[in-house]
Amino acid sequence: MSATAELRSLRSGRRPAAKQQNKAAFFFLLPWFLGLFVITLGPMIASLYLSFTDYNLLQPPEFAGLDNYSRILDDARLHQSLQVTFVYVLVSVPLQLALALALAVLLDRGIRGLAVYRSVFYLPSLLGSSVAIAVLWRTVFGTEGLFNEVLGLVGIGGRGWISEPETALSTLIVLNVWTFGAPMVIFLAGLRQIPASYEEAAAVDGAGRWRRFWSVTMPLLTPIIFFNLVLQIIHAFQAFTQAFVVSGGKGGPADSTLFYSLYLYQRGFGNFDMGYASALAWLLLLLVGTFTAINFWAAKYWVFYDD
Amino acid sequence: MSGSAKARLLGAVALSGALVLTACGSSGGAVERSDGQVTLRVTWWGEETRAGLTQEAIAAFEKEYPDITVKGEFKDWDGYWDALATTTAANDSPDVVQMDELYLASYAERGSLLDLGEAGEFLDTSQFDEESLKTGEVDGTQYAMPIGVGVLANIVNVDLFEKYGVELPDDATWTWDDYADLADELAEKSEGKLNGSSITGGMDTGSVRYWARLHDDELFDKNGDVTLDPQTLASMWQYNLDLMGSGGVESAAQAVESYNAGLEAGSLATGKVAMGFSYNTQITALREASGADLRLLRLPGSGGADAAYFKPSMYWAVSSQSDHPAEAALLTDFLVNHKAAGDILGTERGIPANGEVRKAVTADLTENDKIAVEYMESVTPGPSPVVTPKGGSGVEPMLQRYTQEVYAEQTPPEKAAQAFVDELQSEIDSAK
Amino acid sequence: MTDTLAKAAATPPGAARPGGPPRRRLRPVVRSVVKHTVLILCALVMLYPVLWMVVSSLRPNDEIFQAPDLFLTNLEAGNYGKGWNAFSKPFSHFMINSGIVVLGAIVGNLVACSMAAYAFARLEFKGRRWWFAIMLVTIMLPIHVIIVPQYVLFSEFGWINTYLPLIVPKFLATDAFFVFLMVQFIRGIPTELDEAARIDGAGHPRIFLQVILPLMVPALATTAIFTFIWVWNDFFSQLIYLTDPEMYTVPVALRGFVDAQSGTNWGAALAMSVVSLLPVFLVFLFGQRFLLRGIATTGGK
Repeated sequence: MSATAELRSLRSGRRPAAKQQNKAAFFFLLPWFLGLFVITLGPMIASLYLSFTDYNLLQPPEFAGLDNYSRILDDARLHQSLQVTFVYVLVSVPLQLALALALAVLLDRGIRGLAVYRSVFYLPSLLGSSVAIAVLWRTVFGTEGLFNEVLGLVGIGGRGWISEPETALSTLIVLNVWTFGAPMVIFLAGLRQIPASYEEAAAVDGAGRWRRFWSVTMPLLTPIIFFNLVLQIIHAFQAFTQAFVVSGGKGGPADSTLFYSLYLYQRGFGNFDMGYASALAWLLLLLVGTFTAINFWAAKYWVFYDD
Repeated sequence: MSGSAKARLLGAVALSGALVLTACGSSGGAVERSDGQVTLRVTWWGEETRAGLTQEAIAAFEKEYPDITVKGEFKDWDGYWDALATTTAANDSPDVVQMDELYLASYAERGSLLDLGEAGEFLDTSQFDEESLKTGEVDGTQYAMPIGVGVLANIVNVDLFEKYGVELPDDATWTWDDYADLADELAEKSEGKLNGSSITGGMDTGSVRYWARLHDDELFDKNGDVTLDPQTLASMWQYNLDLMGSGGVESAAQAVESYNAGLEAGSLATGKVAMGFSYNTQITALREASGADLRLLRLPGSGGADAAYFKPSMYWAVSSQSDHPAEAALLTDFLVNHKAAGDILGTERGIPANGEVRKAVTADLTENDKIAVEYMESVTPGPSPVVTPKGGSGVEPMLQRYTQEVYAEQTPPEKAAQAFVDELQSEIDSAK
Repeated sequence: MTDTLAKAAATPPGAARPGGPPRRRLRPVVRSVVKHTVLILCALVMLYPVLWMVVSSLRPNDEIFQAPDLFLTNLEAGNYGKGWNAFSKPFSHFMINSGIVVLGAIVGNLVACSMAAYAFARLEFKGRRWWFAIMLVTIMLPIHVIIVPQYVLFSEFGWINTYLPLIVPKFLATDAFFVFLMVQFIRGIPTELDEAARIDGAGHPRIFLQVILPLMVPALATTAIFTFIWVWNDFFSQLIYLTDPEMYTVPVALRGFVDAQSGTNWGAALAMSVVSLLPVFLVFLFGQRFLLRGIATTGGK
C-alpha cells in the first residue's frame, strides 16, 4: 500500500530521473521523428504553401496571397459540404460507437460461437472501399432494394433512398454505422485488457452484473472509448471513400452527400484548382483540430487512467 | 536537438523540389529519334479486355521497333485522372497518354501535351478525314489523335415493345412530340410496370449538346466560352419534367439510381424502361447485360437538321514532358494507323476514327459491332463541336447537380439553367 | 491486489455499493436463446449485402442486376475462372503483391508504433504534449492535397513503382492511429508492474520488451489485423505509386474490371471481390483469438 502510494507520488511529481527519460524517449521516438521530418512534414508544409497560391497542378503555382481563403467566405457549395459533414459527424459517430460498444460487450465472453459472431459482424467493415460497395448499397437502399421490400411487407410504400436528395445522406450514415467493426474490435481488445480479477472482486463484494459493468468495466474502458471517439471524429470529418463510391464521385444527388473531403477533391482534381483545395484542407485541419482539442480538454472530466 | 529548425529545413527541401519540378516542362528542341534503346511509358483507362488488347498491340509495336521498349499502365477512369494529374504535376508523366474530350483542352492549354505538328515526321495523319482530325485540335493546334468515334443513339428494347403491343416508330421522321407520345403509350400499355423511356438528357453533356444543336445552339463557342441559351437547357429539362408527371419517363430518383448504377445495372439494361439514350458503341455492353433484343434508332428530330455529330470516344496524345517525343509519336502512329494494331484493337475503343482502319476492321465484325457500325453509317453527322474548354473539365458533375435539382423539383428549370450557365462560365473564366 | 481493486472500483462516481442482491430472473438457457436469436437476426441483416455479393458472383452477367433476391437459378461458376485469368497474370499474382505490402506494413507498424507509444505513454520528456499534438495533426490533412508533394518526394528517392512508399512510412510510425491506440492501452497497464521491474534494475528497453509488450498483445493484435485489412483495401496510394501492372495489388487490379464507358464485367468483378475478401476474413477469424490473450488470464475463456 505505502509503496504504491510512494510510486504514485513519484509519477505525478517532478521526477528526479527526468533527464534520463529525455534520452530514452528520443530513442523510442526515433523512427517517428524520422518519419515526421523526412516524410510527413515536407508535404504538409508544401500544401500549406500551395494554399496561398493559384495552382492548377499542371503549371507552376503562382503566389496569390489570401485569395483562396477569401473565396471560402462566399462559396455556397462549401457551405453545403460543411453542413453535410457536420450532420454526418454528429449523427453517425455516436450511433456507430454505441452500437460497437454494445456488441463488444455482448460478444466479450460467455457465449458459444464468439469467434464466428465477431467475424460476421466485422465482415461488412472488410468491404471497405471495394468496388462492390456501391452495388451492394443499391441492393439495400435502391428503389428495388431490400429495405423497400421490408417496408412493403408492412405496407409502407418505398422510395429511392440513395437517389433522393432528402434521404441520400441518411443511407451513408447507415453505411458508416454498418461498418462498426473497427471500433468494436478496439472495444473488445480493451475489454480483454481489463483484469478479470477486478470484476471478480466486485462480484465477491456483491455487485450485480449491471452495476459491475457501470462501476468497474466502464471506467476502465474510458480510455478506449475516448480513443474511439477522437479517431472516429477525425475520420468522419474526412469521410470520403464511401460517399465517393456510392455517389459516383459526385456527392449527389444535388449535392446532398457532398462531403467536405469530396468537395475538396472535386476542386483539386476535377477542376484543377489545387491551390483552393489546399486552403480547404487547412481549414479542415483547423476544424478537426479544434474538435480534437475540445475532446482532449473534456477528457479530463470523464476519462479514467489507471496510471 | 533542434527539431523545429530541422523541420523547416526539410520542409523547404521538399517544397522547393515540388516547385522546381513542376516548373520545368518540355525542352522545346527539335523532335528527333534518340540513339540506342529507348523505353516509353503509355497509359490508358479501361478494363481488362482493353488492357489485354492494348498489351498485344504494344508487343506488335516492339516487334516492329526492336530498339523501343514500351511499358503499358492502365487504371480505372477516376484513378486514371488522379494519377495523370499527380504524375504530370511531378514532371513524371507517361510518354503517351489516352485523352478524353473533357480534359483535352485542360491539359493542352497548360502546356502538358506535345504539339503533334512538331512530330509530324513520325506521325501520319493522312488517313483521317478533316472533320475527325479537328476533334483533336485545341486553338488550331493538333494535340491529340482521335482513336474511335461514337454517335448518340436512341436505344429501344424490342422485346418490351412486342410484349406490350407497341409499334416501333419510324426513326427517319419522328419528332420529340412523337417520342413523348410513344413513351406515354408504353407506360400506359404496361399498366405502370414500365416507364416508357429513361430521361432524355441532363446527366451527360452529349445529350445537352444534341438538344442545343437541334435548337441552332451550342454548349461552347469557338473561343471556348459558354454560348448555350439558358432557355434551351430549360426546355430540355421541362420536356422531361412533363413526361415524369405522366410516367412516360422514369422518376427523378430512378434516373439518378440508373445513372450511378452504370450501363449494366441501369434502367435500360434491366428492362425498367423500353427506350433510352446511349452511344452506339455501348450497344454491346447493353445487349450482353440485358439479354434483350436492343436496337439503335436515330434520335428524334434528327430528320432534317444535322444535329448529330461523331464524338471521339478517346484520343492518344503525347506528353510534353516526354524525353522521347519522336518515339512516342511513332507509337501513337502505330496505334492509330497500322493495320496490325487495327486488327488487334478492333472496335474496343470505339469505331476507329481512321477511315482506312475502319474499312479494314469492319470486314469481320461481331453482330453487335455490326449494329453499331450500320447505325453510324445511317447518321449524317454535322460539324464537330469544339472540345470542352480549359476550366470546363468539371462540366458533367455540374450539369448533373443542376439536373438533379430540377428533376427533384428543388429549383425551377429557368433558374437552374441560368445558374448552370453562369457557374460554368465563371469556372472557365477563372482558368483563363 | 484487493487494494488495486478497491481503487478501481471506488474512483469513478457511482461506485458499486456492496450488499445488493444479485438479480437473476432469467434462466441461463432462456437468456442464451434470446441472445443467440437477436445476434443471428442482426447478423443476417448485416450480412445481406455480402451474401448478395457472393450469390451474384455465381450468376451469369445478364442476371446479376435483374434479380434482387438471393436464390440461385442458374449457377455460373465461370465468373471465377474468368476473373482469375482476366489479366496477363493470374489473380494470385496480385494477391501475392498485396501480401508483400501488407506484411511489410504490419511489421513496420508493430515495431515503430509500439516504440513511439511507449515513449508517449510512459516517459516524461520535453514537449511531450506538443509532440503528441503534432502527431495527431499529421493525420488531419486529406490525402488528396498531400499526394502531389509526397509523390515529388518519393520520386526524388527513386521509389516510384516500388513498394517502398507503401511500406517504409509504416516503419517510421506515420500511422498515428496505431500510436494513439497503443498509448491508450499502455496507459491501461498498471504502472506497478514496470515500477517493480525498475526496482529490479531493468532499463526502459527491457521494461518495454519484457513487461509492456507481452501485456499489450490485444493492442498489437488489433494493430496487426487492422493494418492487414486497411492496407489490403487501401486504394489511392497504391494506385498512384504502382505504375507497372506487374506490381499491381488487389484493390488496383479489382478496379481493372470496371469501366463506365465500355462496360464492366460484373460477374468477374464480384467473383474476384469475393476472392479478395477471403484472406482478410480468414485473418480476422483466426487473428482475433489473439485479442483474447493479454492480461485477462483468469476468468475469461
